[in-house]
Amino acid sequence: MPLIILIFNGLLAVVSLLNMYQAVAQVRILGQVQYSSFLQLYAFVATLEFLLLMFIMPALTSGSISGERERQTLELLFTTKMTPSDIVTGKLFSALGQLLVLVVSSFPVLLVTFVYGSVDFLDLGILMICYVTVAVFAGGLGILFSSLMRRSTFSNVCTYGMLLLIAAGTLLLNLFLLNMSSLRIRNMTVPLGEVKPAADSGGAVYLLLLNPVMTFCEILRGQVSGIIENVSLERFLGSGPDNFVTQNWVFVSIGLQLAVSLLLIWGAIRVLNPIKNEKN
Amino acid sequence: MLRIRGLKKKFKNFQALNGLDMDVEEGALYGFVGPNGAGKTTAIRVITGLLKPDEGTVEIDGKDAFRFRMEVRDAFGYVPDEFGMYDNLKVGEYMEFFAACYGYTGLVARNRCMQLLRQMKLEDRADAFVDSLSRGMKQRLCLARAMIHEPKLLVLDEPTSGMDPRTRLEFKEVLKELCAEGKTILISSHMLSELSQMCTDIGIIDAGRIVLAGSMSEILQKVNDSNPLHIRVLEGRAQALSFLQGDSRVKTISIQQEDITIQFHGNSRDEAGLLEGLLAAGARVNAFMREQGDLESIFMQITNHDMEKVVMRGEE
Repeated sequence: MPLIILIFNGLLAVVSLLNMYQAVAQVRILGQVQYSSFLQLYAFVATLEFLLLMFIMPALTSGSISGERERQTLELLFTTKMTPSDIVTGKLFSALGQLLVLVVSSFPVLLVTFVYGSVDFLDLGILMICYVTVAVFAGGLGILFSSLMRRSTFSNVCTYGMLLLIAAGTLLLNLFLLNMSSLRIRNMTVPLGEVKPAADSGGAVYLLLLNPVMTFCEILRGQVSGIIENVSLERFLGSGPDNFVTQNWVFVSIGLQLAVSLLLIWGAIRVLNPIKNEKN
Repeated sequence: MLRIRGLKKKFKNFQALNGLDMDVEEGALYGFVGPNGAGKTTAIRVITGLLKPDEGTVEIDGKDAFRFRMEVRDAFGYVPDEFGMYDNLKVGEYMEFFAACYGYTGLVARNRCMQLLRQMKLEDRADAFVDSLSRGMKQRLCLARAMIHEPKLLVLDEPTSGMDPRTRLEFKEVLKELCAEGKTILISSHMLSELSQMCTDIGIIDAGRIVLAGSMSEILQKVNDSNPLHIRVLEGRAQALSFLQGDSRVKTISIQQEDITIQFHGNSRDEAGLLEGLLAAGARVNAFMREQGDLESIFMQITNHDMEKVVMRGEE
């Protein structure tokens, strides 16, 4: 673990220092400071950590319970004082702890942006909550499939498959519906003086509440403008509803994802109970 | 220490346990034997809480094993037939992990682990990785792990399978020492000769039920009492046969050359009386010996369902 932290932060530090060197060199040549490069650095590091959590967390959890089953140590654990909830939460928090140490250790790199006065502590706090949510969500998926499957290979495949369905599937569905809506509106005729409505993806936009990628993009767009405009809630909402959910999208989606995570963890605990799960 | 009543368990169309009753007294080294598919592993899984029975009760140290599931886990330690090792852990780490599973941490855990490793003669391997241990060492490590929380009952499922004779002998000595310390041990095994040498009690399971149970000495004595008696008569065979035919305790008589083999239902005193009778009848007896019974012969008789020859007949 110390070696991984060293390598990860070392790489981030190199990227950060190169970025600062470029900014300073630009000042010498052009006589102006490009503040956007520091914001781009912040977005780069934040996105890298988000992807790390989203894709490595399942790798750590999807083999945790099925691996115990394969090593034939799971039944030994059931004969000790450990309950199924102890085993599931222990595996989840162990993986979470490892990755969060990695994320927190890289915060000094993010704080480089403070040199030129960009994002503030509240933004970092919201980003941290987003990270914990995606880690618990992805980890919960992994733990559930690991409890269900006898083999780690199948568990891995199911976990990443489900994650892709949620992350990419919901997005693609909304893009498809948005395009269909755009086509429909293009062919629409409206009376003179009236404006055509904006295209939207309809009710499917609420599926994006479960998409951690969407939540992260919305947070980043709020902190760093001009980033990821193609994947934006406004585009999918069009001239759609303006309600409590759309006004507080980030917090509602984080709450919903945490609730689903708790359900996934509860499901894993239920499945793991040796007395209830016997095969007849 | 362990009391089972009316245990039943069915898997689809297969009745694995069919009204199993078993009593293991405190301090006993109980041998649990049976043919493949008799229900030994199913019974052990029910005892250790890994399987819920369809009917019946299991009491460990006076507590219902299913109503007080967490409390009884303090009362027993389990060594399964598959080792269940964390190969990437060191021996000391492996022991401390399972100590933590029972709520032991810090210095208390470390001291307890080292004490058990010393008892199992593994203290010099504390810093070695588990996968570098031999099979015998792994089994001793499993036994140490099962005793971390000082249980009163140890449940061992085929602990000596795959071990060489020397390692089996060493393991047997360890089990006898543990029994002498007051531990109750339930051991399931196919190594009948070993069980007959070390067990104080035995239970033979077949088709999901106990077909024979009791102390080892009682069972072997009863078997002996029903085994054939071989007599070699040098002179006076006619007188010997006449005497034997007149004795109601002699059930069958067969003659092969000089040897007379009889089914004689009686104890050692009766045997002495029979010999005196033969001599008084004028026979010159050269050999007079009861065939010695062992656990294998009982096992083969019972599991061949040849109940007529079983020791139970001796009670009729």
